[in-house]
Amino acid sequence: MKDFLKTYKAIGFIFIGTLTMLMYVNQQVLIYQMGLKVKENHQVYSKLVDHNRILVYNVLNLKSPVSLQTKLLAKKVELDMPHKWQVVKLESSPKKFVYKEAVKKGFFANLFIIGREAEASQNINSLASLSY
Amino acid sequence: MYKLITPRIKKVAYFLVVLFVLLAVRLFFVQLGAAKPLSKLASDQHNMYLCLLPRRGVIYDHRKKELAVSINLNSIFADPLMIEDEESTAEKLAGALDLDKEDILLKFKEDKRFVWLARKVQPETEKAVRGLSIKGVGFIKEPQRVYPGGELASHIIGFVGMDDKGLEGIELQFDKLLKGTVGWRYSIRDAKRREVPGYEYKEIPPADGNDVILTIDSVVQAFAEKELESAFEKYKAKGGIIIVMDPYTGDILALANRPTYDLNNIKGSPVEARRNRAVCDFFEPGSSFKIVTAGAVLEEDVVQLEEEFFCENGEFKWGRHTYHDHRPHGWLAFRDVIKYSSNIGTMKSAMKLGDKRLYRYIKRFGFGMKTGIDLPGEVEGMTRPLKQWSKLSLCSISMGQEIAVTALQLACAISSVANGGYYVRPRIIERIQDKAGQVIEEFKPEQRYRVISEETSKELRAILRGVVEDGTGKLAEVKSYLPAGKTGTAQKIEQNGTYSHKKFTASFIGFLPYDKPRFAIVVIMDEPRPYYYGGTVCAPVFKNVASQLMRYYKIEPL
Repeated sequence: MKDFLKTYKAIGFIFIGTLTMLMYVNQQVLIYQMGLKVKENHQVYSKLVDHNRILVYNVLNLKSPVSLQTKLLAKKVELDMPHKWQVVKLESSPKKFVYKEAVKKGFFANLFIIGREAEASQNINSLASLSY
Repeated sequence: MYKLITPRIKKVAYFLVVLFVLLAVRLFFVQLGAAKPLSKLASDQHNMYLCLLPRRGVIYDHRKKELAVSINLNSIFADPLMIEDEESTAEKLAGALDLDKEDILLKFKEDKRFVWLARKVQPETEKAVRGLSIKGVGFIKEPQRVYPGGELASHIIGFVGMDDKGLEGIELQFDKLLKGTVGWRYSIRDAKRREVPGYEYKEIPPADGNDVILTIDSVVQAFAEKELESAFEKYKAKGGIIIVMDPYTGDILALANRPTYDLNNIKGSPVEARRNRAVCDFFEPGSSFKIVTAGAVLEEDVVQLEEEFFCENGEFKWGRHTYHDHRPHGWLAFRDVIKYSSNIGTMKSAMKLGDKRLYRYIKRFGFGMKTGIDLPGEVEGMTRPLKQWSKLSLCSISMGQEIAVTALQLACAISSVANGGYYVRPRIIERIQDKAGQVIEEFKPEQRYRVISEETSKELRAILRGVVEDGTGKLAEVKSYLPAGKTGTAQKIEQNGTYSHKKFTASFIGFLPYDKPRFAIVVIMDEPRPYYYGGTVCAPVFKNVASQLMRYYKIEPL
């Protein structure tokens, strides 16, 4: 009986030890896999950022006065500052009818206002949001 | 009885004990003596320090338009030991990289584990090499500095070397602030020397470089360069300079030189074209310098505006030297002496002033000293100390000979006249800020000291208005904006020390509007041909730039 218990204990120790080690190995594999995933994602991200930077640079290059000037000169169009008479000044648009103002207008006006007016917001992916 | 431990087993046991003792002794000595180098060797094998490169700061113009930015490009390297078929690999790579096959083969023969094949290649080239899937060829990302404007403001911005270190211009002057701080990561690597992800011990992230905001306006710079270029081409000049400056703050709005170079193609430009002539070259200014003599004599009250000088009908003998005017004049009022740029009239007025006082004013106008602009390579010019002046020096210097100045010094001098008499330090950097927009350093405009009084400045402005209205600088006239200025045509000195009759430096320095100046402009043309007068070559450039400035800044006509 005693021997049986001893063997049982030994097997138990070996089993727990093996299980712990397997868990440890599994944990390490998971860490590695996660790290690999993060690295891959980071590589994709940095590749996209780099590509974006190159594209932004190309846009800047095309927009630069020298580049515009060269292109226009090639078409025999001289780039020059406009004279005052060449500038058409547009009158500013009337003030927007906003929700707050409508609220002030009273109960009946409120009936026709569903919510806030739609407003364009800056796209976070726009060129302006990029920083070097 | 069966004997468990036989003599044979004993022998084996003794042998094993001895073996273990020997191993223990070896282990002891290894631990005691060679522990450090061996643990270092082991650490080097599986640990790695990864250098994390910072992003170099951006250079912006006054309106925050990018003038210099950084992008990442891949560099291609090879491990010669891993290359299997050198001949065919070299042939394939030579085709993709547009390199000489023999050069690549030579690199493969080097006794190294790492050789560069091509640095910072275009994405298309990289794609082509990747497509070849060659064993032993790898890619490393490296930052590449690029300049969206190409040639625009090249002499101001400067450029960086292959290792991203500033070599010229602002890139050199502010390299420490632009480059940022390198970061690092301590990590472990696998047998193929690749970083094992998820096992980074420690990381210090890189600190990106700061951004530099210049005072120049890229639009002003563009049209100033365009006008300079067309005059440079038209007159087949050896060199050309243009500076547009705010006379009150000293802000440089545009500064350009010819010949110039493309910042994105440094290798394709001659070294000569890379020199910032506006601050690195000095020359005899000729009649443009008469603003200093005029300012001095009026300030010291030794000459009145209507005081008349006999201009000797164009030829004046002084000592053993004979001075000439480009056109003969008889009696001229002092204002007309400057208006018609009479050398004889100017030197006679300088004689009334004396050499000591003239020298003092030369210094006060900022000649013979650096302006202190934040650009590398600035020179002081050449102003001989008073002790070294000969008897003829007073006459020569008063009309812009025997003295050498930089274009920037001339811009500061004409600004002193335009702004009511103050010397202003030229400013090319507005501020330096970090990536978050926090200002690290601000460069405020500096008004240093008074050169001439407000009254003298007013008188001088009126005289210089006359130069454009009715004098030698008529071609600088901009209708309704009343510019003022001074022409200059200086003979260059030949190698034998005599004045040349073929080589000239033409100049026009001026400002507008003359009563409330907004801009000071300096135009210099080195050895223009066939015309060489400042009033013919440089004044039209001034006019074109000035009229565009007025339209760009929407300044109402007077």
